[in-house]
Amino acid sequence: MTTARRRLPSAWHLVLLPVALVMAAPLIWMVLTSVSTLAETRRFPPGLPSSVHLGSYATAWNDSPMAHWLWNSALVSVTCVVSNLVLCTLAGYAFARLRFPGSRVAFLAILATLMVPFQVVMIPTLLIVKHLHLVDSLPALVLPNLATPFGIYLLRQFFLSLPLELEEAALMDGAGRLRILRSILAPLMGPPLTTVAVLTFLSVWNDFLWPLVVIAAPGKMTVQLGLATFTSAHYTNWPVLMAATVISQVPVLVMFLIGQRWFVQSIASTGIK
Amino acid sequence: MTGWAMVSPSVVLIGVFGVLPVLWAFWLSFQHNDLQTPGQWAGLDNYRQLAHDPVFRESVKHTLVYTLLFVPITLVLSLLAAAALNRRVRGITLYRLAVFVPVVTSTIATGVIFTWLLDPDYGLVDTVLGKLGLPTSGFFSSPHSALFAVVIMTVWGWVGFGALIFLAALQGIPQDLLEAAQMDGCTRAGAFWRIEVPLLRPVSGFLLVWLTINSLQLFDEVYVTTKGGPLHATTVVVYYLYLQAFQFFHAGYAAAIAVVLFAVIALITLVQLRLTRDPTTAGGRQ
Amino acid sequence: MRRYPCLLVVGALAAGVLTACGGSSGDSGSTTIVVTHGYTDMEAKAIQAAAASWNGLHPDEKVSLQFNGGNDSALQKTVAGFTAGNYPDVAYEYGSSAAQLAKQPKVVDLTSKVASSSFDWNDFYPSEREAATVDGKVVGIPALVDNLALVYNKKLFAQAGIAPPTNDWTWQDFRDAAQRLTDAGTHTYGWAYVNDGSEDTVWRYLAMLWQAGGSLLSSDNTAPAFDSAAGKAALEQLYEMAVVDKSVYLDNGNGQYLNLFNSGKIGMLWTGPWDLSSINANVSYGVTYLPGDNGDHETISGPDLYMLFDHSSARSKAAFDFVAWLTSAKEHIKFAIATGDLPLRESETKLPQYQTFLRKYPAEKVFVANLNNVKHVRPNIPDYAEVSQAIGTMVQSVLLGQASPDDALKTASSQVTSALAGS
Repeated sequence: MTTARRRLPSAWHLVLLPVALVMAAPLIWMVLTSVSTLAETRRFPPGLPSSVHLGSYATAWNDSPMAHWLWNSALVSVTCVVSNLVLCTLAGYAFARLRFPGSRVAFLAILATLMVPFQVVMIPTLLIVKHLHLVDSLPALVLPNLATPFGIYLLRQFFLSLPLELEEAALMDGAGRLRILRSILAPLMGPPLTTVAVLTFLSVWNDFLWPLVVIAAPGKMTVQLGLATFTSAHYTNWPVLMAATVISQVPVLVMFLIGQRWFVQSIASTGIK
Repeated sequence: MTGWAMVSPSVVLIGVFGVLPVLWAFWLSFQHNDLQTPGQWAGLDNYRQLAHDPVFRESVKHTLVYTLLFVPITLVLSLLAAAALNRRVRGITLYRLAVFVPVVTSTIATGVIFTWLLDPDYGLVDTVLGKLGLPTSGFFSSPHSALFAVVIMTVWGWVGFGALIFLAALQGIPQDLLEAAQMDGCTRAGAFWRIEVPLLRPVSGFLLVWLTINSLQLFDEVYVTTKGGPLHATTVVVYYLYLQAFQFFHAGYAAAIAVVLFAVIALITLVQLRLTRDPTTAGGRQ
Repeated sequence: MRRYPCLLVVGALAAGVLTACGGSSGDSGSTTIVVTHGYTDMEAKAIQAAAASWNGLHPDEKVSLQFNGGNDSALQKTVAGFTAGNYPDVAYEYGSSAAQLAKQPKVVDLTSKVASSSFDWNDFYPSEREAATVDGKVVGIPALVDNLALVYNKKLFAQAGIAPPTNDWTWQDFRDAAQRLTDAGTHTYGWAYVNDGSEDTVWRYLAMLWQAGGSLLSSDNTAPAFDSAAGKAALEQLYEMAVVDKSVYLDNGNGQYLNLFNSGKIGMLWTGPWDLSSINANVSYGVTYLPGDNGDHETISGPDLYMLFDHSSARSKAAFDFVAWLTSAKEHIKFAIATGDLPLRESETKLPQYQTFLRKYPAEKVFVANLNNVKHVRPNIPDYAEVSQAIGTMVQSVLLGQASPDDALKTASSQVTSALAGS
């Protein structure tokens, strides 16, 4: 598995670089805005800042309980990620490989929950949370996201794409499904598990509407609710808002970079054939 | 049964927090309810009204046009992006990060950037187009082009998501398959199209279904840019639902819209599952 | 599910560590009330200072402030709050939300409370009192009042050699100036109009409709009345400037007009006091009444309210006491000085601190005087949101040149008729 050492940079840079710039443009704009002065952001068309003003970051951090919001969001998001990795792997595998009565109905019912917009189910979900006496609490943010249809569906597809032969030998030896999952399949699932982890983290981290209606106490606010305190209907302090937004996006990007370690080419060989 | 043991935690959680609320929404659609005072039974009134609602018809049209543009474009671009990112080039992690950035970027920031980029007077795109002598567009400001501007913005925002998933799938394809093909004289591109892409079928099917379900429920991007305008040009079904529920307080009517939307999405999804020969609908041994 | 016990522990820890919120009526005789608001930045600091001051004076009737996610989300959050049971005692709401929320049984009827002479209800400007009244019931206490005035860039006028606007400007003066300030080559416009079809689009048109002598709805609010000669005249004014003269920048709702104003690309705005703090220091601007004919410079005001919701009689009493104190002349002038909000009560303009206010915000003198130009208010009915949508689309279609004033009026009129009739 050696690759020929190349002296010259790959020609792919010519393709990847412009694409990367187009994609990263808003983040670049956000960072540029966050280091501009307020007056500079109130021009149109926008221009480059005259120099780097880091004051907005200090304001965003010191003038608000940003650290607390980040902690709340992190607690909720990480809990959901761990839970999804476990529960969605189990469910995804079962839906992919096992035949049991009602499995088709169960899977379609899970998919069906994706087909109704949140604005409509927001109120009844709130009622359920109220009956569980969890209104205005962090568990209320966690429970609806402990297992997501996205994770189940995606992992099911990945399990379906793995050749049956991988498991057949072990099954004939009498190995249990969990054992097969753990020893044979898990090592091959790096990329999809990372994907589920990163995207679940992202969707819980970026959620605004559910925390808005469930949380009231300032101490339980998540980062997205917190960001709303930097803007108002008529007056927005753009540099501070962008500084706060950049701060709030960093954890997701870090998660992505960490996840890259597991995003490795599968070494599964088809030699079983 | 091992099967039920493995799925039950997920099924219970999603059943309580997903299915029950959906059933409540169905029940709400048969009421006149403003969420403030107790509702009154309305039978099929809401549905009858929906059938004669010109704005609703418009919103359905806009939603379908949007979906027919958004889904194929995003699928193709995601696949190409994943192929480009599936290289052992120096700095590939940073490139992958860059492609992923739009997915992470908040909708508000995206909305601000795009309304500036596509501003008919001062935006970069029209300025460049004008200098090149190409026709310019009103983008978000004109009823004829606003929906396409939303397509551009959302494709940009979702390509990274699709690319990540395709990339994960590409990483799962054993290298020796490709090496064998290349030893047989296949080009790298040929190997891609003839070996890798077919192996991506379960994941392509997933993305097709996922993107469709999401695009039929477009809301956030419309809310932060055009608010359904100009002149209802970007009023899509879920935006109209939001207006009915939280601005006009016709929650029962909004629920009826949701039920109709659900029926349409479910139908399209089942067709897609059948077409991609997903085991859910194909029946028989998986 | 084996995660669940873990979560309970985590949740309990989190709850324990964080301040317990949600009001209470303690049996020791002390009450805590929850006040939700959308104040940010300086206004947030001002309300926090006010609450702290109140809590110091009334340790047995404490106020706990909560941010509502932004005023645009306030209505959604309040409505959801009634379901979840976590609705506040006092909520800052847009005036346009009053008619909808008034149907909520938990809304406290303040009619008798504000009638007391010590409260001095008539001290509030008429438009505020009207915004707070739905079907004869007072459902809120004014939190904010504003109005639309003409804000112009002095330098652009000087450069173009045009005499700057005055309080006596006629519509023709306004139209001429806008035309002369417009330069297609440099993308400079004489006037900016918010054209996103929302209430922002509607209320500017309403000022023009009322100046022309028209009304929006019939006196009993059951039928449209804007499809009249006055309504058409007002639309034609917009048509002439936007489509014929092409002197109007059509902002699509994201506030770009302000950045353009700061960059010297727009000569005149119709806006309120809230935008003044976003004008850059290097832009020299002036403020006058809206242009009008026959000495009528009628404008429109958009008051916001503090609405009270019932939890218990002890909490309702505390809530009313707090809001009455907060909106009293002596307290509110402090708030106005800190934030630039206009005085809520006429008596505030007689206090010595009012001079401090004027020194800090000289431009707002015109806005305060302009409050006397507010003669009509928008109908406070639950269907207003739908009426607004129809009017917004009507104005938008004319400004974009997509419909003639006649056709647009006809379409909007039938939409409003069905909105008022059904549903």
